[in-house]
Amino acid sequence: MPESEPHPEMPAPPALTDQDIYEAMREIQGYLDITPGDFKEIFLLAYKHALERLRRAVRAGDLMTREVVAVSPEAPLPDVAKIMGDHGVSGVPVVDSENRVLGVISEKDFISRMATGGSKNFMSVLAECLQVKKCLALPMREQKAADLMSSPPLTVGLDTPLWEIARLFTENNINRAPVTDAAGRLLGMVSRGDLIRVSTQGP
Amino acid sequence: MLRNYLRKMAGTTQSPPGVGLAEIFWSWLGGCLGIGAVAYLNFQLVEKADQVLLVASLGASAVLIYGATKSPLAQPRNLVGGHLISAFIGVASYKIFAPHLWLAATLAVAFSIAAMHATKTLHPPGGATALIAIIGGPKIQSLGFFYLVLPVGAGVLIMLVVALIFNNLPRTRRYPEFWL
Repeated sequence: MPESEPHPEMPAPPALTDQDIYEAMREIQGYLDITPGDFKEIFLLAYKHALERLRRAVRAGDLMTREVVAVSPEAPLPDVAKIMGDHGVSGVPVVDSENRVLGVISEKDFISRMATGGSKNFMSVLAECLQVKKCLALPMREQKAADLMSSPPLTVGLDTPLWEIARLFTENNINRAPVTDAAGRLLGMVSRGDLIRVSTQGP
Repeated sequence: MLRNYLRKMAGTTQSPPGVGLAEIFWSWLGGCLGIGAVAYLNFQLVEKADQVLLVASLGASAVLIYGATKSPLAQPRNLVGGHLISAFIGVASYKIFAPHLWLAATLAVAFSIAAMHATKTLHPPGGATALIAIIGGPKIQSLGFFYLVLPVGAGVLIMLVVALIFNNLPRTRRYPEFWL
């Protein structure tokens, strides 16, 4: 990824006016051998470098959630739905007996399975629900996690840098990814929320 | 294209703020002490030995090291390096190109700028030091490379010592920002 290319998730630099700089220069005793214009240019470039450094320094291992609820591929979907609801998570990894990640199930997977029309989002499912007066989720009752999960899963490693996670999310339109070791075993999860938290508060 | 070229001449930013009265006073006092020391020694001592200590470029250095102490141009590396390198280039240029003084003067200044840049010792008064080696009159011209020791080396050293002692007295000042 070329350094000069601005990323969509890159926070804009604080709006610094020429007046702010002028006032700051006045507060510093002594003659400063620099114009406000030069300072602004340096500031903006330095800000860009700082962002780039943070982006490279923060890795999946620093931001992931370690206590992750996972389900087995044989788990019945009603159980999966209950687990997600109880834990207040919008997605769970599906792992085998050796903790290897086989796939991911998200709210989106449930919703798209329920939708019969063209638009597979929550509101269209709700609209349909209100019209037909029956539970659209019923066909899923007999199914298992393995039937619904997105597989193979898009995973990241402990060392995957922040910007690469952001790109993975954006390009694949996903909101979370399991963090795995070299053998594909589950270590944690990174979510869009983790990315937002780190870009506002730091790791 | 022409319009863009002309637009560059309009400038893009405002001039930096001026300094307060205290800063003006300290700069004045620094100039008094620095040039005072060199001038006193020049007229009371060195001149009697038929030598020179006070050269015009030290006046320019005084502006920087007592008036703009934070400037990279005013730091010891630049003050000493800029003067000595330019003095050497000035003398060498005179020796090579005299009696074509216009050529000696031109190349002395141009090469001084380039050499100061290349060695990270840019110090504007250095350009004057190089020029003085050529247009400073028979007394300076006869010094040869001794010009680097007296007046340039000795004068710069006195100015630097005064800057170190004086610039660290006011609460609002410190000097230098860096040595090397």
